[in-house]
Amino acid sequence: MTLDDVEEGDELPSPERLLSKDEVRAYARASGIAFPRFTDDEAARREGLPGMIAPGNMSLGLLASHLERWAGAGTLRRLGATFRGLVIPDRVVRLCAVVTDKNHAAGTVEADVWLESDDGDRLVVGTATIAVR
Amino acid sequence: MPLAVDRTLLGRVYDETEFEPVTAGELIAFSRALGETAPCYVEEGPDLRAHPTFCVRYRGRKGFPDDFPAALLGRMSFDAGKDIALADPIRPGDAIRVASSVHEVYEKTGRTGTMTFVVVRFVLTNQYGRPVATIDNRMMYRP
Repeated sequence: MTLDDVEEGDELPSPERLLSKDEVRAYARASGIAFPRFTDDEAARREGLPGMIAPGNMSLGLLASHLERWAGAGTLRRLGATFRGLVIPDRVVRLCAVVTDKNHAAGTVEADVWLESDDGDRLVVGTATIAVR
Repeated sequence: MPLAVDRTLLGRVYDETEFEPVTAGELIAFSRALGETAPCYVEEGPDLRAHPTFCVRYRGRKGFPDDFPAALLGRMSFDAGKDIALADPIRPGDAIRVASSVHEVYEKTGRTGTMTFVVVRFVLTNQYGRPVATIDNRMMYRP
């Protein structure tokens, strides 16, 4: 893919993904995250949460992988995101991105990115810069 | 009442932590936990590198500077978001150094009151002194 293959307004395919509790626990382990809100329903409820939740960093990771599946491994240059809502395991999330700008001098594209719930709530929203070879 | 913040704490490095060299197994486990399949993230060999968000595993051992506003300590806080700017990839054997500073403190008023946001910046370099990533970590403190 080259910059000429990309247009502002292009939407990336938006895959759905069922995030299981075991996947969230595996991410927490691999990340060295010790907070029980990410591994245990009861502990999360004691914090006032509806049950265990996925770490914000996991959402960031899923969005990064989503972008690189499109542009190629090693192409992500910048990713910023705001964690607006709880990502609850055992529910489907959708990974979304749309190209907002092209920078020919830098060989990069800018994109709006977000992770939304199965009912369309944008739980994580942000922007990214991706190198396009 | 607005939070009184000593602006001199902004931008000052209050902690530097150097971590043990990262292993190939750690890099692969992290990538697999995200469902990654790209060979450069999940297969041992000369091309193996960290997933781009592996860098968020690193944070300084000291959470805040000594002169951090006492009014915030002990309040319930949440991870409100991150901005990551990537440079050199992390590879097996890299020993990452993290320099921490408070980058920004600001307030926003919502339905539940005034929330305080603290942005802690982590600047990551590798054992060669090369930049790896700059991470702005936004924490939200409830009223």
